[in-house]
Amino acid sequence: MSRGTMTVTKGRPAHAGRPRRRRLARLPSPVGHARERSDRRLGYLLVAPVVILLLAVTAYPLIYNVWNSFHFDNLTYGNLPHNWVGVRNYTTIFKSSHWVSALARTLVFTVVTIVFDIVVGLALALMLHRKFRGRGFLRAAVLVPWAVPTVVSAMLWKTMFDPRSGFVDYFLGGIHPAWSSLTWVNFSVWRSWTAIFVADSWKNIPFVAIILLAGLQVIPNDVYEAAKIDGASWWQSFRRVTLPMLKPALSVALIFRTLQALLVFDVIYILTTGGPGNSTQTLSFLNFQTFITDTDFGVGGAMSLVLVILALVVSAVYVRALRPQT
Amino acid sequence: MASSIRVRRSGAIALSVAVVALTAAACSSSSSTSSSSPPVSASTKQTIVFAESGLGTEGQQTQKAINAFEAANPNIKVTVQVLSSDSTQYLATLEHDFVAGSTTPDVFESDVTYPAKFAQAGWVLPLTRFNVDTSQYFANEVKAGTYNGTLYAMPWFDNPEGLYYRTDLIKTAPTSPAQVVSDAEAAMKADKSLKEGLAFEAAKYEGAITSFLTVDSAFGGTLDPASINTPGNVAALKWLHDAIYVNHIAPAAVTGWQEGQVEAEFDSGYAAFSINYPFVEAQPMAAAVKGHVAYVPFPAGPGGTPGSALGGEMLAINAKTSHAQAAWKLIQYLCSAGVETARAIATGDPPSLPSAYTQQLYSAAPYFQDVKTLNNYSAPRPVNPNYLKVSDDLQTLFSSVYANSGPGSAAAAFTSNAATIKTDATATPGA
Repeated sequence: MSRGTMTVTKGRPAHAGRPRRRRLARLPSPVGHARERSDRRLGYLLVAPVVILLLAVTAYPLIYNVWNSFHFDNLTYGNLPHNWVGVRNYTTIFKSSHWVSALARTLVFTVVTIVFDIVVGLALALMLHRKFRGRGFLRAAVLVPWAVPTVVSAMLWKTMFDPRSGFVDYFLGGIHPAWSSLTWVNFSVWRSWTAIFVADSWKNIPFVAIILLAGLQVIPNDVYEAAKIDGASWWQSFRRVTLPMLKPALSVALIFRTLQALLVFDVIYILTTGGPGNSTQTLSFLNFQTFITDTDFGVGGAMSLVLVILALVVSAVYVRALRPQT
Repeated sequence: MASSIRVRRSGAIALSVAVVALTAAACSSSSSTSSSSPPVSASTKQTIVFAESGLGTEGQQTQKAINAFEAANPNIKVTVQVLSSDSTQYLATLEHDFVAGSTTPDVFESDVTYPAKFAQAGWVLPLTRFNVDTSQYFANEVKAGTYNGTLYAMPWFDNPEGLYYRTDLIKTAPTSPAQVVSDAEAAMKADKSLKEGLAFEAAKYEGAITSFLTVDSAFGGTLDPASINTPGNVAALKWLHDAIYVNHIAPAAVTGWQEGQVEAEFDSGYAAFSINYPFVEAQPMAAAVKGHVAYVPFPAGPGGTPGSALGGEMLAINAKTSHAQAAWKLIQYLCSAGVETARAIATGDPPSLPSAYTQQLYSAAPYFQDVKTLNNYSAPRPVNPNYLKVSDDLQTLFSSVYANSGPGSAAAAFTSNAATIKTDATATPGA
């Protein structure tokens, strides 16, 4: 206690019946305060570069984007002033049939892909949770698609769906000769969506499976044993024990996958570029076109903010719906 | 001890400040943004920045030409900036420079579809001040560089898209679109190693527009966004659609093909006809194909003219540069006959000057005789500041017709999209 910054005060037991509490008291010490202030300043200085960098690359563009969304800012008309246009950019979006169609496609894609990914991911996680030879290798191997960048996996699937040299038609041709040269991408709407779903799920199911596997591993075995003693079947154990106790892991997987699906872009850009026609165009794809092709930063900014708000609302709904019951 | 702590603290603070400073420096643009510098005469010692997209052989050839230019003009040093070989990224980088008011690049390469956009935004210098004699160049590329009657970009090389066919299978050039179909059908019957009669770009990308444009004028069509729903345009799109679904001379797979896949099909000996750019003849070919290739404009139908689509690159000057004279000198040099011929021999980029098509060029690459013919027919895409938006509309329209989705027939697709295309091409945003 040479510096005397704190002492322990032993007082009369003021709260009878309650556990005795040690109270820490601070003695006034100008030297200590100065040192504390100095430490704090140093701390601020040391984190300053990271904070400035983060503000520069996240906060500044975000705020600038909000500003843009209420102004006219189109690079094709770079010589025109960036005038305030109020909510006109937002009304342009909501009146656009392209945007409304893209919203519908995005929502349908999100629902379908989430249901599929969660069901298959859960089945995969349950399988990987069982004890069998080579389980460690298989668990590592399952992660490979998730580790591959989306652009690369989309390019791989584009090659595999190629009607002349792709594996998919070669495989299907083995089942039925008429399926040996199907054109998947940009030839029909449903085939294009099939290719997108396959490429997207191949990449993301392992992510769901690994999160759910981690959730399965923390469920104590005693609970299953108790259920077994009580005569529960496999299905009853799964429904009454596994699913409720997997809820936290399921919530994480759902939130991450839903946000990824709502913002889907790269797999569509690589596989179909939104075609045939506009039939595979999603909100992020339309946003990309508005920013990059049309160079319209006003409408593009408004579009991206609406997308962010949509993602936030969905996240909030999930968090609320999947909150643990107390 | 205390002094050691102080030293460590000072070090940490200094390091912190250095990181902030370096971050700020890294975030700042390396290009100059001043626009108040007085014009520099071409005879003054100076350095200019030239932005281009070419990597590999094209980049090397540009550097070689620039070295020769510097030797001939010792007072002008040229710094080459390779922005990106990806056209979208290239355009985005240029636009960011222009929006920031940068004085560099002083001179830059531009796709044939960009000058109107740059001119509308006030980013490029009108070239009329240099009293350019454009009559020496292929007229269609000059049109692509002219916006509202003013020339903004000089033709650098001129890439016409046309019709390739196998001379061992088709003895004489077809004289009508209908004959292309019948020749393709006959060739497919005669040679079972063929996988298709016709290969063309029908993927949803810019190439779908140039392949359409190659066929369009043969049916009397023109790609005018203000009046897109014409019988000629409908007939041209219907012909391409029917090639897949009615005549079966093109496979469904074309809906995913870009020029690379089309080239591979033709050079591998799988296609009797293909619609593509001049680079096809410079690629390795199967033995059955090599030496049996002709390259012609798409044959005209009733009321049409032989068809070809203009591609290529142009050179323009930044409106903010203070080195306009030196930049113009460089453009004049790069767009001169001797330099263009050397570039064509080295890279296969077709010259924009008819006078550059010399015997020396034909000896090195005889197919340039065909390319020169095509350059007289090549139609530019709409010269419009909103072309990228129009292009997106057209790509969507073609893609839906080739997939039999959306409105259905070519006529219905043009009818239902005409108003949108016109609005996107002509609407001036309310600033």
